[in-house]
Amino acid sequence: MTTSTTGSPIEKFVYDDAIVRKFTFAMVLWAVVGMLVGVWIAAQLAWPQLNIGWFHFGRLRPLHTNAVIFAFACNAVFAGVYYSSQRLLKARMFSDTLSAIHFWGWQLIIVAAAVTLPLGITQGKEYAELEWPIDILIALVWVVFAINFFGTIAKRRERHLYVAIWFYVASVVTVAILHIFNNLSVPATFLRSYSLYAGVQDAFMQWWYGHNAVAFVLTTPFLGMMYYFLPKAANRPVFSYRLSILHFWSLVFMYIWAGPHHLHYTALPEWASTLGMLFSVMLWMPSWGGMINGLLTLRGAWNKVAEDPVLKFFVVAITFYGMSTFEGPMLSIKSINSLSHYTDWTIAHVHSGTLGWNGFMAFGMLYWLLPRLFQTPLWSRKLAEVHFWIGTIGILLYIVSIYTAGITQGLMWRAFDSTGRLAYPDFVETVMRLMPMYIVRVVGGTLYLTGVILACVNFYMTWKARPAQYADSAAEAPALAKTDSHDSHGTAGQSAWSSFVRMDFHRAWEGKAFKFTVLTTIAVLIASLFEIVPTFLVKANIPTIAAVQPYTPLELAGRDIYLAEGCYNCHSQMVRPIRAETERFGEYSKPGEFVYDHPFQWGSRRIGPDLAREGTSTPYRTRRSDLWHVKHMNEPSAMTPRSIMPPFPWLLTEDLDFAGIQSRVNAMVMLGVPYGGILNKDMNNAEELARAQAKAIADSIVAEGGQPGLETKKIVALVAYLQRLGVDIGRPAAEAAAAEAAAKKAAADAAAAAAPAVAPAADATPVAAPEAAAAVTPTAAEAGAAPAPAVVPPAQP
Amino acid sequence: MSLSDIMGNMDLSVWAQAALVLFLIVFLAQVVWTFLPRNHPKWKDAGQLPLLDDDPPPPSGTETDRTPTNRRGDA
Repeated sequence: MTTSTTGSPIEKFVYDDAIVRKFTFAMVLWAVVGMLVGVWIAAQLAWPQLNIGWFHFGRLRPLHTNAVIFAFACNAVFAGVYYSSQRLLKARMFSDTLSAIHFWGWQLIIVAAAVTLPLGITQGKEYAELEWPIDILIALVWVVFAINFFGTIAKRRERHLYVAIWFYVASVVTVAILHIFNNLSVPATFLRSYSLYAGVQDAFMQWWYGHNAVAFVLTTPFLGMMYYFLPKAANRPVFSYRLSILHFWSLVFMYIWAGPHHLHYTALPEWASTLGMLFSVMLWMPSWGGMINGLLTLRGAWNKVAEDPVLKFFVVAITFYGMSTFEGPMLSIKSINSLSHYTDWTIAHVHSGTLGWNGFMAFGMLYWLLPRLFQTPLWSRKLAEVHFWIGTIGILLYIVSIYTAGITQGLMWRAFDSTGRLAYPDFVETVMRLMPMYIVRVVGGTLYLTGVILACVNFYMTWKARPAQYADSAAEAPALAKTDSHDSHGTAGQSAWSSFVRMDFHRAWEGKAFKFTVLTTIAVLIASLFEIVPTFLVKANIPTIAAVQPYTPLELAGRDIYLAEGCYNCHSQMVRPIRAETERFGEYSKPGEFVYDHPFQWGSRRIGPDLAREGTSTPYRTRRSDLWHVKHMNEPSAMTPRSIMPPFPWLLTEDLDFAGIQSRVNAMVMLGVPYGGILNKDMNNAEELARAQAKAIADSIVAEGGQPGLETKKIVALVAYLQRLGVDIGRPAAEAAAAEAAAKKAAADAAAAAAPAVAPAADATPVAAPEAAAAVTPTAAEAGAAPAPAVVPPAQP
Repeated sequence: MSLSDIMGNMDLSVWAQAALVLFLIVFLAQVVWTFLPRNHPKWKDAGQLPLLDDDPPPPSGTETDRTPTNRRGDA
């Protein structure tokens, strides 16, 4: 038997490249689908008539984001992880069966998403839209991936875990944590569930998840790929391995804190917002450390960049990584965020990262892999070069136009005229100003998509020229010895102190994958707990408001329609304490307004106006009638000329599922929403109440001159919901006190009758409001909750 | 007295300060460890790992350099 210099027998084995080939195929397939939908929805904003039936912006935008993140990017990650891990660990994947389950299971998830999202089956949380059965499937498939990945680490033949593997470990562990905790929900039906969290807490969890999905799906695994594929392509080691270590630990420790920067000036407690901002700014350092490390890896090899399309893709990808990771911390600074938030600036930022960093890393890796996977030369390097240039121009057109759009939007929203009134009170005017930029975006996106199609052609032609039989990717390496010098914590003649100073313990951790994984997990969890525990346990974070009551059964059904149609993709429900916003939309939003919002619907952008006060009069308009809403949903431009909102005529013809409302209310009751003051003692008359309210709304529509016969249609539920928005906060104190007393009495009755658990959750219990219904508890200020309007930035002259 | 009461009476700014101090310490420890001269050879070896695999170099040239008999369809 052949043995190595360490005495271990040399083992021969074969890498599993078939699974890598599968993932690369899925990657390019879903890239085309996801980006085609992206170009289509971009075109819908420029030419609203392209909203055709159900295939409108609200339903398709989640399809685009899910397809490019979880289909394109994740398949690219899996291809990169499966290829590089086997080589770095000197081992075939742990189980070919698990690899196959992972591949086919993930594609099944993507298909399920592609079917359910256009059908309006959604949880209504950005990047976490998929409903609970699919969420469970995702968790199971991810566990399969994790077992396969960690199993491979366990049977490896290389003691040291290269830094790329560290990044993969962090990704596998953290994505599982994020996915599970953000998607905890109570199912109401087979395809409808409600988030376990409500309002502020749900917003916090969502952006803890959302931001870290960017971190641990779109950043850390791609960095792992960078640290493997860039040295391979440049044929030289990474510039500084030490810098890569700092890069890794700093990112893992800091990224997880940054989520609250998505919620500046919202009802999130200010301490959390500030914490998120500080850690976001600190993130700049490790991110640029990584970027510099990547670019300097090419020192002395820049001449290769001119010749090699793979290196071109990598260089531009890393450059975009640097740009995005500078811009991200900058946007997290509150004063800048007050301008950028809800505008297209954020969209431009995201796309410079995804198209530039993720897209170009993935395609650079693809072009490097194709000859190796298909054991034939790349069909056309020239075509790859064309892809690179056309893609680069596409990105630039996209982001420059949308940066311009975002800043234009932000400045127009906050502009005041010389009399102190809003310069652009008509929201649609601020939308119309963006149209030229939206058209340029379509051109940029189309160019980028064209480049992807060229990659598909190259892929197909290379695949077509593959050999009759693939040669095995054979390798050999000595078996891993039980222990080696790296594991010893001090040898003869060396003190424990000197061993400690050398930090041999870390070297040992790296060798012991289990411990390393545990430490990485702890790093992630500590940061999460620092933010999550106070947010959930400190009641003062969410001062309750006596006037705020649960949605009626019909309003709840209407809210579900709001979610299903993806209204949150264009409308926020969060008036920030900024003068320009309170002037335009009304009273700023308070944390206590959202205690029954499962899930929260604050949104992240405003293609249309904020709806937090939709059911009330605002400084620039009177309260809208029921009929106005009916006409508006049927044909928005008829009520708001030049509106780019899609029409929803089917809401006037499709029947509302009244029978299903009870199960939805039951789910809310399980979540602690106090329906005792609304339903009867047996808590089983939700349908009856919904029908009665629907009849009243339908009658008012007829009285206003609208069409009869809408009392059974979906539109009445949506109108009920929209008319409720912002109403509670303005209810008179006496009415609120009466409502509170009724709720308490009903809860007491229900408890006495040993009815189902309907007692209000501790955090959701309305407190007595001696003066005004909208008064918040005194602890609000102590908790650093949303600041009063007095702190708003000065208005633009 | 519940945990939320205890938490509610705490000064929340302590959390942020404690977190910053904790992470600064961890970061400094990382820097020291990473840049210890004694560890330099280890990192140099580790950085070579991606280049040490024994995969054969990929076929070079262009697709047209290949003989048609190699193709799967012609086998």
